[in-house]
Formats: sequence, C-alpha cells, structure tokens
Amino acid sequence: MKLKGSYIAVVAAAAIVIAFPAFLGAYPLNVARSVMTYMALAISWDMLLRSGQISFGIAGLFGLGSYASALAVLRGGMNPFASVLFAAAFAALVAFALGFAILRLRAMYFSITTLALMEIFRIVMQNLHDFSGGPEGVVLPKIIFDGYSPALYWLCLGGLFLTIGVSWYFEKSKMHLALTAIRNDETSARSNGVNIFKYLLIAFVATSALQGMMGAIQVQSYGFTTPDTAFDANFLMLPMAMALLGGIHSTIGPMAGAVLLGIASEWLKLKIPYGHLVVYGVIIILVILFMPQGLFGLARKAMRNRRKAGANNE
Amino acid sequence: MANKRNATLVVVLIIVAVAAILVWRPTVLINGIQAAGLYASIAIPMGLILGIVHIVNLAHGEFMMVAAYVTYMLCIATGIDPFLAMLPVALVTAVFGFVVYKLTIKQALKSPELNQLILTFGIGISLTQVANLIFTSQTRKISFDYVSASVDIGDLSFGVFKFVYIVIAVLMVVGLRLFLTRTTTGKAALAVGQNPRGAAIVGIDVDKTYGFVFALASALLGMMGAVFITTSSIFPAVGSPFTMKSFCLIAMAGIGNIPGILGASILLGVSENFLKAFRATRGWADIVFFVLIITVILGRSIKGKKA
Repeated sequence: MKLKGSYIAVVAAAAIVIAFPAFLGAYPLNVARSVMTYMALAISWDMLLRSGQISFGIAGLFGLGSYASALAVLRGGMNPFASVLFAAAFAALVAFALGFAILRLRAMYFSITTLALMEIFRIVMQNLHDFSGGPEGVVLPKIIFDGYSPALYWLCLGGLFLTIGVSWYFEKSKMHLALTAIRNDETSARSNGVNIFKYLLIAFVATSALQGMMGAIQVQSYGFTTPDTAFDANFLMLPMAMALLGGIHSTIGPMAGAVLLGIASEWLKLKIPYGHLVVYGVIIILVILFMPQGLFGLARKAMRNRRKAGANNE
Repeated sequence: MANKRNATLVVVLIIVAVAAILVWRPTVLINGIQAAGLYASIAIPMGLILGIVHIVNLAHGEFMMVAAYVTYMLCIATGIDPFLAMLPVALVTAVFGFVVYKLTIKQALKSPELNQLILTFGIGISLTQVANLIFTSQTRKISFDYVSASVDIGDLSFGVFKFVYIVIAVLMVVGLRLFLTRTTTGKAALAVGQNPRGAAIVGIDVDKTYGFVFALASALLGMMGAVFITTSSIFPAVGSPFTMKSFCLIAMAGIGNIPGILGASILLGVSENFLKAFRATRGWADIVFFVLIITVILGRSIKGKKA
C-alpha cells in the first residue's frame, strides 16, 4: 500500500514538471534548465561517490561531451539528436579507456588525477585551433528545435529523467550492495568475492556517459561553447555543493540540494553580481563540519529518532 | 647493480640534455629556473603541511592569493615596498592560517580523507569568492622599477629579478631543514609527522604542533605572496593553479621530501619553458604539469603494487 502511494507521488511530481512550460515563461524555463543540468551532474557525481571514489572530473566529462556533440554536428554533419547520443557514447568510451588506469587509484590520488584530466581536456580543446576553434570555441549553425524553449526544457528534462532512472537502478539493484561494500571496506568486499574493479568501471563509465550527455544537451541548447565555459569549474563545484547539502549516497538528496541551491543562487546572482558563489563554498564547509549526512540524512535521523521514541512510549 | 647503472644513465642523460639546451636555447634554462623558483617556493609550505599534518590543503593557492591582496592593500595604503611588507604580511597570514586551522581543519582531522579534501576545496572557493566580493574580478598590478633589471651576456639579454624566487626557495629549504633538525620545536614537529600517536605518548602536544606548523607554513606562504605581487598582476583566481602545481611537485618529490620539491620544480620549469620556446608548442606548455602529475601518480601506484 505504502509502495503504491510513493509511486503515485513520483508520477504526479513527474507530470507537474513535464507540464511546467504550460504555465512558465521563457526565463523561468531557462533557470529550470540550468537547475536540471546541475541536478543531473550532482546525481551522477553522487553515483560514483557511493563507491567511496570522489571524482573532481565531472566538469571535464561534461565539457568533453559538449565538444563531442558540437564537433560531430559541425565537422561530421551529424543530426543534433544523434550527436547527443554520440557524445554520451564518446564520454563513456573515454571513461572506459581511462578507467583501466585511474580506477586503480584511491582516495586523494584518484581525485587529483580526475582534476588533472579535466585540465588536460581543456588545454587540448584550447590548442587544437583548426579542429575545435581554439580559445574562441565553436558556434553551431543553428540551435536544436530552433531555440523553442519548451522543447529545450523537455530535452533537458529527458536527460535528467534518464539520470534519475539510472541512479535509481543503482540504488535498487546489486550495484548498490557492491558499491556500498567497496565504500565500507574494500578488503572485506574483495574477500567476499565482489569484483571491485568491474563495479567501479561500470559506475565510472555510466556516470561519465550521463555527464557527457548533459554536456551535449547544454551545447545543443545554447548553440556555442568555449573551453572556458565547457570546462567551467562551476560544473564541478555547484553539483558537489548541491549533493553535499541535500545528502550524499542517495538519489533524492542531490535532487533536493539542487532545487534549493539552484533557485537560491539564481536569486543571489541578481542581488550580488560578483562573488555570489561564496554561498557554495560556505555551504560545502558547513555541511562537512556540522552535518556530513546532509539535509536528507538529518531528516532520516529525525524520523528514526521519532520512531524510536514512539516505540519506547508503547 | 642494474639499478646503479640505470641511475648513472639517467644522470648522464640529464647532463647531456641540460648542456644541449644551454647551447641551443639558453633562455629556456634561465626562464625555466626562474619559474622553478616560483613553483618551489609556493609548493614548499604545502609540502610542510602535507609532511607533518598529513592534510592536502586544496585552498593552498588561495592562501597565497589572500597574502597577495593583503600586501597589495598595504603597499597602496602606506606606499612601502613589498619586500618590507613581507614581515607584517607573514604575521597576518600566520594568524589567518592558524584561525582557519582551528576553526575548520582541526575539526576534520579525524574524519575520512575525502571529507578533508572537500572541506579544503570549499575553503578555497570561499576565499576566491570573498576576494571577488571585495575586489571584483578586476586585475590589479603595482609596478616597481627594479623588476625590469636585466643583464646582457653577449647577444643574450635577460631579466634577473625573477631569480629572487629561486633564492627564496633555497632559503626556505635550508631554513626548514635547520629548523626541523636543530630546534626542539622542529624536532617535535618531525616526530609528530612520523607518528602522531607515538609523539603524543612521549609527551608532545600534537594539536599544538599541528597548529604551529599550519601557522608557519602560512607565514612562509605569506612572504611568498608579498613578493609575488612584484612580478605578477593579481585577481581572485590567481592562486588556484598553484594548488595543483604544488601538489604535483610534492607528489613527484615524495611526501616529506622538501629538498626534492626544488629538484622537481626545476624539471617542470625547464620542460615547460622548453615548450614555450617554440611558437607551435607554446599553447601546450600548461599541459606538461598535468601529464606529469598523472604519470607520477600512476607510476607510483604501479611501483607500489609491485613492492
């Protein structure tokens, strides 16, 4: 009975967000798109984090995806929709190849290497003048759907739904057990027969594909990109702050964090043009120091305490 | 035996390469060493923290940025020379580093390494953005006459001022070495770095030592930030690239090996400037760092597996 209730809630929520363009103007839809992009990145970052591996490279794969898509359209004459899939596949392929080397690294060495890879992608794109347009970047001949904003919104929403779906699958399937086991104690996971490398590779490739796809959707919706916008550190920092605030190791946590921070930052951007991002830094610090479980974790704890109190009363 | 022969071979190769560069493009070596001094003197304080407190401070570059802005304001307000400002700035940043340590990093010492990484990353963002709030993203620069001092040898003319960085780096290495081996506080710090629990058992105040090391490293970095404004314009994100570069140098040298940082810096500085010497490869110079850092990390992980 309870399960049915939550399904109805999910379907209702999905229906409401799908219907947004019916009663929102172009500007709110634009804000919604950026919130959704960050949300998808936050979820995908969290998916790998569930294995205990913290990636600082999501902006790199995001940027790689946007370049793959833009260049496939521009140089290969590919259909824009196909180019989104191509970008996801390309990011997955790159992640697969890199994974063999870097997934053997742990802790800060993995994090720093992913950060360095992001910089390498950026410098490569900046220097392949004839192919990628160099520092000026690339401009697409036309925006997907001719820039019709509800359609752009639905495209982005589609990407987000896919991300949520994959994340949900990660949470409900064997992946969840494997990744949690790796995070808690790698040695005992291995001795219990978990193929650590295989699961890490699956998680890394899947999250990279999602990040590449979001990058492709972004570039197709805006019609241009440069190395500095595609590999902007904000695409790393904001999703991290969102996931941490909402609560890591879950799908719902990063979603809640993204809605809260996304709307707050849009509002702050208007109030404080310079330095509104300080909010993100401060949130990261406060969350790590005072509530490592995030808002969602706090809520869960409060609920558990209440249940316990209720049981004691009986 | 084979190891020894390999080592000799490497040394010979390096000497040949250096000689070849010196004859062919002497500016590569000069610029390379000047750059190496800058990298090393920023990386050494980070190496000190990493070696003793065992924290990767991802806000390291931002600490220097803070020092640079403090110096900038001091110089604009009072008109004193950055070299004179070194001491007051070092005091300010030492206090600043100590406070940041006490308020944040100390609380996270016991939590997983990943939390510490994210925490210092967040501190870095906050510092950059606060600088953005106060100073906006406009670049600022004070010019000094002595910076443009140059020397002519034959047809070769080059600036000499930037050699000040390699002098600072060497002073730091020597000073830290003396401090860590000759003074009681230094020896205690070294002991804490090797084994915090053991040090605590023999009566060393670990927390106090950590705080002190953080303050000391911040002071060194503060001096560096003061000199930094003589040759570079400053903006809120000016420090960020140095965090990665410093970490890369420390990873190359091996954690706890402070003189090694200087050697690694020279290797990096020279190879970067080697690429910069040619028009076709100029834009690729930045990539050297990142390729090298990945190579070093992967190399170490493979070596670790074998051992």
